[in-house]
Amino acid sequence: MPTHAAPAVEARGLTKRYGDFEAVRAIDFSIARQECFGFLGVNGAGKTSTMKMIYCRTTKTSGRLDVFGMDAAAHPREIKARIGVVTQDNALDPELTAAENVMVYASFFGITGATARAKTAALLRTMNLEGKERARIAELSGGMKRRVAIARALVNDPEMLVLDEPTTGLDPQARLAVWQQLLDFRARGITLVMTSHYMEEAARLCDRLVIMDDGRILAEGTPRSLIEQFAAPEVLELIGIDLGALRVPLDGLVRRQERHGEITYLYTDDNAALLAHLASSGISAPQHVARPATLEDVFLNLTGRELAE
Amino acid sequence: MNPLAAIFHRNAWNVFRRDFMAWQKYAFSSVAINIFEPMAWFLAIGFGLGAYLTLGKSSLVQFIAPGMLGLAALNAATFDACWGAYERLNFNGVYESMVTAPVDPLEIAAGEYLWQAFRATLYGAIFLVVIAGFGLVHSWWCLLSLPLLALCGILFAMPGLAVAFLVKTQEHLFYYFSFVTTPMAMIGGVFFPLDKLPHWLQNIAWCTPLYHSVQIFRALISGALTPNLLWDLLWLIVAIALLAYVPVPFLRNKLAR
Repeated sequence: MPTHAAPAVEARGLTKRYGDFEAVRAIDFSIARQECFGFLGVNGAGKTSTMKMIYCRTTKTSGRLDVFGMDAAAHPREIKARIGVVTQDNALDPELTAAENVMVYASFFGITGATARAKTAALLRTMNLEGKERARIAELSGGMKRRVAIARALVNDPEMLVLDEPTTGLDPQARLAVWQQLLDFRARGITLVMTSHYMEEAARLCDRLVIMDDGRILAEGTPRSLIEQFAAPEVLELIGIDLGALRVPLDGLVRRQERHGEITYLYTDDNAALLAHLASSGISAPQHVARPATLEDVFLNLTGRELAE
Repeated sequence: MNPLAAIFHRNAWNVFRRDFMAWQKYAFSSVAINIFEPMAWFLAIGFGLGAYLTLGKSSLVQFIAPGMLGLAALNAATFDACWGAYERLNFNGVYESMVTAPVDPLEIAAGEYLWQAFRATLYGAIFLVVIAGFGLVHSWWCLLSLPLLALCGILFAMPGLAVAFLVKTQEHLFYYFSFVTTPMAMIGGVFFPLDKLPHWLQNIAWCTPLYHSVQIFRALISGALTPNLLWDLLWLIVAIALLAYVPVPFLRNKLAR
């Protein structure tokens, strides 16, 4: 079977149940080779369970899940040999040094001795960890730990890298560094699969993404198409003004509006035109924020602005 | 594949190597802790209490000395199989990262069997040197206690690992220490002969692996070997073959969450 022709990941009706709890509910998605694909959602949306099934840590309850054209439940060893995994908590061995972490991991892929040492040194250098080879994990910052975990995941030259919330808990500089690395991997043709709850991150890195909530996929597309479909190019946030009460006609300038607390959100194609129209209707210089729409708006439109818990 | 065959899998030896690398960093304190406490028991009971007692022609210290080899193996394997493996599973992400590589939980368990075999052999061997220093070893057969220590390490590791992979909190490991391993040390024939115990207690002792291993250790140290010991050896081997499977499903279950 020509597995190289198959998509990187293909899921149909994929479901995962833990006891009575249904973490993933019959989702469909397909991840192409060499793309960066994101799973976006709040905690508990089912992202991590989906990732765990992709990297063969746990098996599906029902449905179909193929990785490189192989059934993930039937061929974990073959699949794991070709992917790299960075888990949410890094899972670095605190009793070993940074270099030992990579070398022990390499041994599970049959990479040992001088080859393993050379590879480890090169990977730590790539991840800007020179001089930290002999450091214990506890001595490293959060960003460095994440970079060790990424270096370790690369030790088998994976065709696909699976990253569960790669930048959660990192400070802004460390986040930028990880983003840059991921963009480099993408440029080298490595398929990237990641979860995130940072919309900005997903917009910047992902070619395509799905938005998950409560175990289901709510929407799928490129960041741009999702904004086009579920928000609008621009958003005007009016603070402390109730347009409904003022009965201002909007003349089709607003695609949709919603009110949340003191703020009215107006989704529009053109903020400048909308502001001019409001001024001519007697609302001049309202307190407002005019900005381009983001994935965050898409996300909030799909899942609601209220706190779920 | 069965867990004993998995001992020959490359990954089992990689797991062993990981444990060895981690252990190297605190080897001195680990050896000191694992030797000092049993040594204190040995000296106190063997020489202290033993000064007031004799067992027929033999002294109490002569009786206890070979039993300490079994006890050393039990302690060395139990402590790390329980406490250490619990941390590797639940706190340190050691096994979690292993199963993201092409490693099966079966191979992790097999690697841990190997590692506990090493610990039991090392700590038992140190004790062998000590009792030899006290002039309590009387036969070159004693060298066979080294492979027997390895066998004991594997055997004692199995229930310990099963408990570590099963319990929900680390405190529950004390149930195993208090209700299983400590009583086993008391009635395993380490500190006193069992022939004056009530019959039912002797039967329970017969059901413990420590009893059978101590019988063999005692013969190897004294040189008084009898064919009956082959039954004790067979008992240990059968126990290993049966218990080898026990920890694996618990580990598989925990890692598949």
